[in-house]
Amino acid sequence: MSATETQPDSSYFLRKLHSFTGLLPVGAFLAEHFWSNSAALVSARKYDDVSQDLQTIPFRLIVEWGAIFLPMLFHGGYGVYIWWRGKSNVSAYPWVGNWLYTAQRYTGLIAFAYIGWHLYTERWLTHGRSTYATVAHDMRNPWYLAFFVVGVLASSFHLGVGVWNFLCKWGLAATARAQQAAGRLGAVVGITFSVVGILIILSFRLNWHPFAFYITK
Amino acid sequence: MGDGKQVIVKVKRQAGPKQPARWEEFSLKWRPSMNVIICLRDIAESPVTRDGKKTTPITYDSNCLEEICGSCAMLINGKARMACSALVDQLDQPIRIEPMSKFPLVRDLAVDRQFMFESLKRVKAWIPIDGTYDLGEGPRVSPEIQEQGYPLSNCISCGNCLEVCPQVNEHSQFVGAAIISQVRLFNMHPTGAMNKSERLAAIMGPGGIQDCANAQNCVHACPKNIPLTESIAAVNRDAWKQALLGWLG
Repeated sequence: MSATETQPDSSYFLRKLHSFTGLLPVGAFLAEHFWSNSAALVSARKYDDVSQDLQTIPFRLIVEWGAIFLPMLFHGGYGVYIWWRGKSNVSAYPWVGNWLYTAQRYTGLIAFAYIGWHLYTERWLTHGRSTYATVAHDMRNPWYLAFFVVGVLASSFHLGVGVWNFLCKWGLAATARAQQAAGRLGAVVGITFSVVGILIILSFRLNWHPFAFYITK
Repeated sequence: MGDGKQVIVKVKRQAGPKQPARWEEFSLKWRPSMNVIICLRDIAESPVTRDGKKTTPITYDSNCLEEICGSCAMLINGKARMACSALVDQLDQPIRIEPMSKFPLVRDLAVDRQFMFESLKRVKAWIPIDGTYDLGEGPRVSPEIQEQGYPLSNCISCGNCLEVCPQVNEHSQFVGAAIISQVRLFNMHPTGAMNKSERLAAIMGPGGIQDCANAQNCVHACPKNIPLTESIAAVNRDAWKQALLGWLG
């Protein structure tokens, strides 16, 4: 037996890397991003402070490219290839897992397109200097608002199903019972991200700051 | 009882892989406990379509008629299942019968499932017990392993798990759930475990376990109720450990 026989295929590593980057750093970044943007729920001032803190982190370009842009580009780019290779058959076999499989592919495409647009409008056009005012201004455009909502929901769904897929596909949830539990965890993640994301959008759109009372004079 | 009751069956026919496909409709005399294989046999007895045209008997694979040989898998009303256990009384009519779509067609309902056999060979889905001298007794198999292994050993290689899998298509060479489950079966056996790393390496090769995307259709479609998704998870766990940590020693 030759030594190469015990070497996995490169597609194995790419697929595993795709699965891993979905959680770390892409999923973790989504959590950080929603957390930072939640500052809008406190006040516009708080949002601008958090935003400026992030805009002035040391090694910003390296962190942005190494931990955010490149992993996202790989996850999304390889994801498009995965989407192309799958052939959905949910009309013949309408089981829940099969629906999630199909939805996972399309929410991935939507999220990838949305994130590209989002980066362009909120990062590129503002030269990385977005403020509460610039974001709120964009949200006044109903098309922007609609795309924000769709993008947030698609990304949240994709992460929720992704958590479930990750736990199953790395064999961390191996029994049927464990996989059911992993599914519930994924649902909690997806719903939590959706709710928080929509609250943030509402905050910008309605100039709504439900946690403003945290600030005492 | 049942006199005059008819069963309407539509069969997708194709004389060969490159020949055009056509549908033929048959009206058969209903009988109690009729299954789809009985329908195909009745058609063979008198191959005349519903509108009275003479035709040829339908080519199909079947053998045991009790869901243990795996040969009669086909699409019945659009779903992959065993024809022998598809009872006419439980099916909507007209009953549509088609060959499986993920394997090369031979003729009519017969398909070539050689791909599965080749995949089983690739992952060494056997336990080597022969040597040039007497190897002696193997290690005892614990009752726990026996209990886990028995359901997996029920696989009949029917191919339903491949047929329903969205990841098995013309863009991919995914081996499918049955083969991954056999890797688990032979790796859990104490003698079979001697070839564990080879099997894991093979199942991480082209079209290997990485192509599973967790749609979990396989476990719903399996006529033998094999816990295929558990098998995939178990093999996945062993596989990435070997791939990602193996070089660390």
